[in-house]
Amino acid sequence: MMSPLLLRTPLLLLRSPLGCLATVFGSFSASRNKLVTQAAAVPSPVYSRKTMHYQTEERGHPHCPDYRIYFKTTDGKYISPFHDIALKAETEQDNDVPAKKSKKNESEVLFNMVVEVPRWTNAKMEIATKEPLNPIKQDVKKGKLRYVANIFPHKGYIWNYGALPQTWEDPNHTDGETKCCGDNDPIDVCEIGTQVCFPGQVIQVKVLGILAMIDEGEMDWKVIAINAKDPDAKNLNSIEDVRKSRPGHLEATVDWFRKYKVPDGKPENQFGFKGQFKDKDFAVEIIMSTHEHWRALVQKQTPSGGIECKNISCRESPFKCSTDEAREVVESAPAYDGTHPVSPHVDTKWHFV
Amino acid sequence: MSVTVEERGRPNTQDYRVFFKNSEGKYISPFHDIPIYANEAENIFHAVVEVPRWTNAKMEIATKDPLNPLKQDMKKGNLRYVANVFPHKGYIWNYGAIPQTWEDPNHKDSDTGCCGDNDPIDICDIGNKVCSRGEIIKVKVLGTLALIDEGETDWKVIVINTEDPEAADFNDINDVRRLKPGYLEETVDWFKRYKVPDGKPENQFAFNSEFKDRDFAIETIKSTHEFWKALISKSSNAGELNCMNTSVSDSPFCCSAGDAEAVVKSACAFGAEDPIPSSVDQWFYYEK
Repeated sequence: MMSPLLLRTPLLLLRSPLGCLATVFGSFSASRNKLVTQAAAVPSPVYSRKTMHYQTEERGHPHCPDYRIYFKTTDGKYISPFHDIALKAETEQDNDVPAKKSKKNESEVLFNMVVEVPRWTNAKMEIATKEPLNPIKQDVKKGKLRYVANIFPHKGYIWNYGALPQTWEDPNHTDGETKCCGDNDPIDVCEIGTQVCFPGQVIQVKVLGILAMIDEGEMDWKVIAINAKDPDAKNLNSIEDVRKSRPGHLEATVDWFRKYKVPDGKPENQFGFKGQFKDKDFAVEIIMSTHEHWRALVQKQTPSGGIECKNISCRESPFKCSTDEAREVVESAPAYDGTHPVSPHVDTKWHFV
Repeated sequence: MSVTVEERGRPNTQDYRVFFKNSEGKYISPFHDIPIYANEAENIFHAVVEVPRWTNAKMEIATKDPLNPLKQDMKKGNLRYVANVFPHKGYIWNYGAIPQTWEDPNHKDSDTGCCGDNDPIDICDIGNKVCSRGEIIKVKVLGTLALIDEGETDWKVIVINTEDPEAADFNDINDVRRLKPGYLEETVDWFKRYKVPDGKPENQFAFNSEFKDRDFAIETIKSTHEFWKALISKSSNAGELNCMNTSVSDSPFCCSAGDAEAVVKSACAFGAEDPIPSSVDQWFYYEK
């Protein structure tokens, strides 16, 4: 039975006799919804793009361990952001345009990215790979909500950070260059556009390159990409373009990943290829191989090792479930309650490593 | 000394003001009524935080307005937000001013060759806490940078909040170099380039961009305190500065609590904040 969506009453602003403000929050709805995707607005006369629209639904209490961000389509079907969002953003060529008119012979390949951590924030939000329907939640370490340290001169994350859906770094697979096994997660993306995104936002990105990070001994590729809607996106087509237009950012990226766990008592991280960024073609190869590993996972050809593979759309997946079953998962999550905001216990210490 | 703030208008709008009250609830000026010293014998100073670390809104003590509340600076008719110059996000320290100081524009500094910028002396607090707007903190002075901002002397005093857990380890500028390596270099870098996205040239510094030590900084602060004393006693020309105060009893500008209250009452009622424009999120990149 669907729970009714209650509208939140607006905030009431009360004026006390001193002319100061007191704020009273209205009643809360069982869930809080947000539209997260817009069609990629590439104003090209040649190509039109059809993009799926997704919404998020918040559950639990913000900044608390029970907080979750679930995903659904605009027609209300709950989905997994790990398994049910296409890796490649859909493209459709405009059939009326003669082929010779277009400069590019093939459409630009864009990938969907699920944003987990907005730039400049610290809360370590992640796709929960071991929970059904894989909502976004805040990572917990040693019983506490995890906030990534500020490593001087950086403040929080220095890109919008997230994952490519339908990818999986298989822990049973050893990488040829680094001799390390996958970290059991979707492949990670650092998005370098200007806009600060929000957790759960799904954007279309251009891949520009990739870094081979080895995080605590596990293979942990970092794709470098830019939001297709960024004003600079059309000028950036390679990792070299990034180096020229954003001097210092790639070096800062290596520095960040090398040091970010040192304040937690972990050693500096290592890199494959001597910390060099590989270019777009190599990046796409790696992405597609993690896509194949993912396909084997959802089709149960690989042991899932704790990964929750429930999905509503994957062909030949023994984990495919009905939309009703998916709804039951979400409805069993605690109701959203933002009425007593908890201040996040972010450590504002700046670590000099 | 326990000072509280009273916000008026709506944050991120032109009407926003932060007024100050003393422990008796009497309105005061953060420029003239907060004592320069928290502890004179130990050279512990008060500082008014204008801009919390990692934020962009250019909040300032309104030196030309009665009671000198904090307000957001305007440039070319728009609210001013300081640009993010890579790798920095907003300001990289809690930024503010020492009360009862004044960089006299009629005085040419012998070290910088430039006249004062007509403002209280600026501080950069390197403590770990992100302070709030209008917070009054007690600080230890560690050194100073001699910025020449658009041709005017603009000292940047490096301080640490005495309540920082590591404050005892910081006593002079070399401690900053040793314990927070890179922070001083990034401070120079920040001040050199922070106006470049607005089309201004890189700023210059006196002393070859080197930091002067604690003793030099304290002498500089004290001389700006003397300039302020001349200002508040009307021995110096105030120009457009507003010297209204409620505690400097021998100042010709001293007024009653009632006069001060009337100023605050005429300000807009406090309300919900406007969102910060997304253009403020832009990161500007330059070759170093």
